[in-house]
Amino acid sequence: MAKRVAIIASNGGLETAYKVLNIATAAAATDAEVGIFFTFEGLSIIHKQSEAMLKLRPENAHFAEGFQRANVPTVSELLEIAIDSGVKMLACQMTVDVMGLTKEDFIDGIEVGGAVAFLDFAYDADVSVTF
Amino acid sequence: MTQQLVDLTIDCKGLSCPMPIVKTKKAIDQVSPGQVLEVLATDPGSVADIKSWATRTGHQFIGTTKDGDVFKHYIRRTDPNEVKPEGRHGDVISNEELHGLLTQNPVILDVREPMEYNFGHIPGAKLVPLGQLEEELESLRSLSDQVIHVVCRSGNRSDTACQILSEHGFKRVKNVVPGMSDWTFELEQSPS
Repeated sequence: MAKRVAIIASNGGLETAYKVLNIATAAAATDAEVGIFFTFEGLSIIHKQSEAMLKLRPENAHFAEGFQRANVPTVSELLEIAIDSGVKMLACQMTVDVMGLTKEDFIDGIEVGGAVAFLDFAYDADVSVTF
Repeated sequence: MTQQLVDLTIDCKGLSCPMPIVKTKKAIDQVSPGQVLEVLATDPGSVADIKSWATRTGHQFIGTTKDGDVFKHYIRRTDPNEVKPEGRHGDVISNEELHGLLTQNPVILDVREPMEYNFGHIPGAKLVPLGQLEEELESLRSLSDQVIHVVCRSGNRSDTACQILSEHGFKRVKNVVPGMSDWTFELEQSPS
């Protein structure tokens, strides 16, 4: 029986994007069923302009060199891997509306839905994490 | 005979987490059950990650070696049928019983693949991969009066080997159960 991992991404910034996508892609590679609920600032991770929106926090600016040295994949590469490996991505309908966004503002392969749609997935999760 | 056979090698050198795992997952789907995947990586995190990944996904983690800065991880894709040994060869011996006999230099045939054997086998065990058993029968003929202990990882390949040996006149053949997956005693390694 496959394990199920439910992730809530509620913060922005490059740091959060990596935390969320590393866990998600590693879990998917380990044959887990993975769902991510993007809400509030977390929506920037799946925004079409995510590259411009996701920055390191000023106090973490010195990580930039380390990211390069460690040959870390880009956020868009990780998103592509996540979608290819079947990670379900759900954008929170309420925050999408509050921010005046539409489904077209986000990358292909995501869905927009309510809290219950995510909970329906999360109720049966073996692991749930929030970033 | 002890040549290490690798069916597919993937290069994850220079890649950081989670890429070695992501690429390993893709690659394992490209080899057939029983085949061995070699993953080259420089990420030190891959040492624990690849092992956990294999355990979690049900594939066999054979071992890791280090060559300079490069880790070489070996994983054998499992055959879904292999984890359910049928045990058709009735004459079996437990790991513990066989261990108790080691001082008497028993005849032990290890029918796993060379890669698995090289990473650790029972001291004194002779490697005869299951796929080569039939062509080796004549060279084993001199042992046909002795008790032959046949071992693999889970007791399944060795069960098949016991049946082949019995059909060819080897009368005193014992299957070692469960086999190397649960062997907690001393191991001998072959230089790679």
